[in-house]
Amino acid sequence: MPDAMLLLGVFAAAYLGFAALAMSQDRHWHHVGGARHCPRRACVVLRCAGWALLIVALVLALMRDGAGFGSLLWATVITVGALSVVATLSWRAHWLRPAARLLQHLG
Amino acid sequence: MEQGFRASMNWLHTWAGVVLGGLLFAIFWMGTLAVFDREIDRWMAPMIRLPAVEKPFSLESLRPLYETAAAAKSPFFSVGLPTDRDAAIRVLWRDQSGQMHRFIDPNTGAVLADPGTLAGTRFIFPFHYMLHIRAENIGYWLVGLAAMAMMALCVSGVIIHRKIFTDFFTFRPDRKPRRLVLDLHNVTGVLGWPFHFLITLSGLVIFWSTYFPSTWQLTYNGDRLAFFADAYGNVVPKGRSGEPGGMASFDAMAAEARRVWDGSALRYVFVRNPGDAKSIMQIGRLDEGIVSSTYDAAYFDGPSGALISYKSGTAPVMSVQRFLAGFHFIQFRHWSLRWIYFGLGLAGCVLIATGYLFWLESRRKKHAQLGLKGVRLVEGLAVGSVTGMLIATAAFFVVNRLLPLGAEAFGQDRAALEVWTFYLVWLATFAHAWVRPQRAWMEQCWTVAALACAAVLLNWITTGDHLLRSLSYRHLWPIAGMDILLLAGAAIAAVSALRLSRPSRVAQVRHA
Repeated sequence: MPDAMLLLGVFAAAYLGFAALAMSQDRHWHHVGGARHCPRRACVVLRCAGWALLIVALVLALMRDGAGFGSLLWATVITVGALSVVATLSWRAHWLRPAARLLQHLG
Repeated sequence: MEQGFRASMNWLHTWAGVVLGGLLFAIFWMGTLAVFDREIDRWMAPMIRLPAVEKPFSLESLRPLYETAAAAKSPFFSVGLPTDRDAAIRVLWRDQSGQMHRFIDPNTGAVLADPGTLAGTRFIFPFHYMLHIRAENIGYWLVGLAAMAMMALCVSGVIIHRKIFTDFFTFRPDRKPRRLVLDLHNVTGVLGWPFHFLITLSGLVIFWSTYFPSTWQLTYNGDRLAFFADAYGNVVPKGRSGEPGGMASFDAMAAEARRVWDGSALRYVFVRNPGDAKSIMQIGRLDEGIVSSTYDAAYFDGPSGALISYKSGTAPVMSVQRFLAGFHFIQFRHWSLRWIYFGLGLAGCVLIATGYLFWLESRRKKHAQLGLKGVRLVEGLAVGSVTGMLIATAAFFVVNRLLPLGAEAFGQDRAALEVWTFYLVWLATFAHAWVRPQRAWMEQCWTVAALACAAVLLNWITTGDHLLRSLSYRHLWPIAGMDILLLAGAAIAAVSALRLSRPSRVAQVRHA
């Protein structure tokens, strides 16, 4: 069971990480309901959170499967996570709206 | 300079893609299916849908088959032992009539009926790396050429992509077809880049001794066996002595092999020169717990059963090669990675198909104005190599469930008939695409959907393993998985066909 939870954790961290990185871009920030440009502070927060989450995904993958399988799992799951973010932005962009609204006040 | 370089890379990307796209799609598609080759075997050969092995299996019970192989003067006798994915034992040898292939139930020791199919491991998997073209290794070289082209496409694609970071997550399904397929091509290309690049590179590295033969031919004076002995740790086989010789206890040698590897499980048993006084028994280690495919093996003198040597671990350079090979072969036990490979392999297929579509969409109008034939030619090629390949594969599954065991026609046995069906159907899809260019994509999508549903239905009728049944038994999960993927594929094909049969959005807007 912890294996399944860790796998879910790797995917969730990769997905959220890429979602944050995508939202830091003006095009997607605007698309999910933010202003025309992503505010500077929100952008920095999103980028830092995004990269940090990708590192979290790596740590979880290494914890689950060790160096060999873990690095392989990370390298492939982040692609799956990124493709899921693309699908979310294309068909379910409103899922990310609350996060944008929250961060809009930061900037 | 910058512009010139980018333009030349653009030219390379376009034409390498158009010329080799069909070959690349076939290789990617078959490779993606080969991720589940053992599961496809189980689907196509119902007699090996066996429950997992419960009691330890005595290799000694294979002795009658071994004696048969020895009497036929087979150069080898090979036994593939059960794994997590495949409960049946696979025995292979050669006699006057050709390769003999038998499945054995490890629970009862019974030799199972000949399934009469090459299925996943003997048709789909070899198609992936050598296209079943044996003459002069041409198949290997074509796949190598396609793989080199894929590397060049991966690199040139990054260079010609103008807004790689701005477009990193961009897919706009509501745009015009041309923009939509380019978005999809970019997204699958950029996000799938690490996997696609590594899988192509590792595929090339596996066959390095084929693709760079002069390196070892010069060093070893063309002695392939001596080279393999050094590189992979094989024992150089001795020739046949011509004297008959016995074979020591299989089980004792297997126990000795397990002992030297601290109780590790075994993958295979391979006897060279069965029945000869100089026979050598090779036993392979099952290394499904690590990424590398180590090729660890122990060698025994056949008649006496004495251990000659064994290998455990590899030298540094080879260990890199073995890691990359293991990464590519995925013979390890990791179901999450297996599914991810399958998904990313499909992403590679989408990447190649959308590359074709973009080429077509961006030239369609211009070629029509100028009266050029290129679009029609390439469209036929694209339809045949994308949807045509899917149809041929589905037809391969359908005919497998239709032919009775032991069927023969036109002097071909059952397995050959399946393969003929595959190639003839594939050829027919190209003809169809050139004859009916307007409707080819749509009609072929419908065909994929119909054949995939037929395959699931026929599996139910001929074996009784419908989805509810296959989902409720652990050993039938591979069947359930294949049925579910076939149904999902049918659904995607049907939705695509419906979309294609609708008049395009652009046209609708104009009429409004």
